Amino acid sequence: MIKDITIGQYFNGKSVLHRLDARMKIILTVVFIVSIFLCQNFWSLGLMVLFTLMTVIVSGVPFKMVLRSIKPIAIIVTFTSLINIFYVRGGTSLVDWRFIHITTNGVFTALFMATRIVCLVVISSMLTYTTTPTMLTDAIEKLLSPLKIFKIPVSTLAMMMTLALRFIPTLVDEIDRITNAQKARGANLDDGNFVQRIKALVPIIVPLFVSSIRRAVELADAMDCRCYTGGPGRTRMKQMKFHLRDFASLFVILVLIAGIVVLNYYFGAVLVK
Amino acid sequence: MPVLSMKGVTHLYNKGTPSQSKAIDNINLDIEEGELVGIIGHTGSGKSTLVQHFNGILKPESGKIFVDGTDIWSSKKATREARFKVGLCFQYPEYQLFEETVYKDISFGPKNMGLNEEEIQKRVLLAAKYVGLQQELLEKSPFDLSGGEKRRAAIAGVIAMQPKVLILDEPTAGLDPVGRDKILDMIKAYREKTGSTVLLVSHSMEDVAKIATKVLVMNDAHIEMYGTVDEVYSHSEKLREIGLNIPQVSKVFEILNKKGLNLGSAYTVEKAAELILSKGGAAV
Ligand SMILES: Nc1ncnc2c1ncn2[C@@H]1O[C@H](COP(=O)(O)OP(=O)(O)OP(=O)(O)O)[C@@H](O)[C@H]1O
Ligand SMILES: [Mg+2]
Repeated sequence: MIKDITIGQYFNGKSVLHRLDARMKIILTVVFIVSIFLCQNFWSLGLMVLFTLMTVIVSGVPFKMVLRSIKPIAIIVTFTSLINIFYVRGGTSLVDWRFIHITTNGVFTALFMATRIVCLVVISSMLTYTTTPTMLTDAIEKLLSPLKIFKIPVSTLAMMMTLALRFIPTLVDEIDRITNAQKARGANLDDGNFVQRIKALVPIIVPLFVSSIRRAVELADAMDCRCYTGGPGRTRMKQMKFHLRDFASLFVILVLIAGIVVLNYYFGAVLVK
Repeated sequence: MPVLSMKGVTHLYNKGTPSQSKAIDNINLDIEEGELVGIIGHTGSGKSTLVQHFNGILKPESGKIFVDGTDIWSSKKATREARFKVGLCFQYPEYQLFEETVYKDISFGPKNMGLNEEEIQKRVLLAAKYVGLQQELLEKSPFDLSGGEKRRAAIAGVIAMQPKVLILDEPTAGLDPVGRDKILDMIKAYREKTGSTVLLVSHSMEDVAKIATKVLVMNDAHIEMYGTVDEVYSHSEKLREIGLNIPQVSKVFEILNKKGLNLGSAYTVEKAAELILSKGGAAV
């Protein structure tokens, strides 16, 4: 159950997306998210959907895994769609019965919103599926490094993020282990009222904290022993380099934006002001 | 009737993901009451996975598990009963300690069984005695104990439930030789006094030879052998093939036997000394 969390979940693969530079992937993701809000009609939106599907196919990540990343947002999508359908006004009226008024604008907005959110989540999860957490934090550090001018300790923050991500699976394993050990002693975690359930967590949380603190101290000592000081002047074992494919991917995204603009212009906006 | 029994049990980890793996595969096994079974096998052969099925911590993908003849997954009640009938002490159990005092920690299991104060106290003191924890340690915080003491306190926490079957997953891992022998002696004494069935998972074939009545050898998710110590250890070629190291003395004895000294076979130093003293003199 607890294993289902998908933060920073990486899908091992060898696709072109996996090999793209992590920095470029972050930039592309941001650009994509912005451009998805540029779409004004179903043609340009369709182009976006097509592009998203292509990305999934190229990445080699199974559709089942991609669907799993959408599942948690299904409720939000349904909810916003319903609100949009019933409350957005404008365009031609479709239903006008007592207090229920549904217009074309409402339906279109709902469709647009739902598609946008799904594409957005799928594309962002493609980023985490094809990039290891370490590469991701390295890239974020590189992209944020201009902030060093303002005395923001970017590399320290990045190190903290790397460590936090690194220890998520370890902690999940640990929780599983401790839970099992207490269950073996008859701990009852699934029954009882609210207060009882909270109390039942004590035998799990205390050992978890104890071992986390122990682990943190050990880690700090290990880093000290290797003379880790952080700060400026640290170089990386794996230097990030832009390759031809990175520029090519940037080009693809630019073509996509151009396509959206053209389609928007050519077919006009679907929402009536 | 065997006290523990498995029929065609298979367990998958990470089911339905790319990293799905079969940790145990179609296991059939009967363990008779009062036996002290040593479970050996190389790292990752499925020992821990196997034993975690007996008290319902892990649910098998297919197959049935019986404790005292009852299918432990037949009802919620049966599962909970199995928890108390089969006491399982995990690898590195010291990380499960959480209470303010050792006494309270040991009483966690009995409390969950719904026993009264008096009975709990009786059981805690008895369990502490079995594992050799001094009375004054019981009022200390479990986090102030030494590694070996923590281990013993954790084992006491399981023993205090007075399970019919006690399962220990590598109880001696990471302890020094003295601490190891203490735990082994404790297990042996515990079984003799209570007459309960004990399953002992171990990496050390010598430890197992010292106290076990039967040996179960796991190899790549299968049971490779199950029999008495002598039966199993006599297949030294096979054992070596599957990555197990037979005890040092056994190796020495094999060499001596090859050289023409018919000493028989020994798996522990004590047995070896005995054999040399009785037969060795005549042979030389
Ligand atoms: N929680 C888990 N998730 C996924 N795979 C697991 C998990 N626990 C064990 N495995 C896998 O199942 C197999 C059997 O593991 P198991 O822990 O039963 O081995 P073991 O014989 O106890 O090994 P060891 O002697 O190292 O304790 C191994 O291949 C292991 O990688
Ligand atoms: Mg194990």
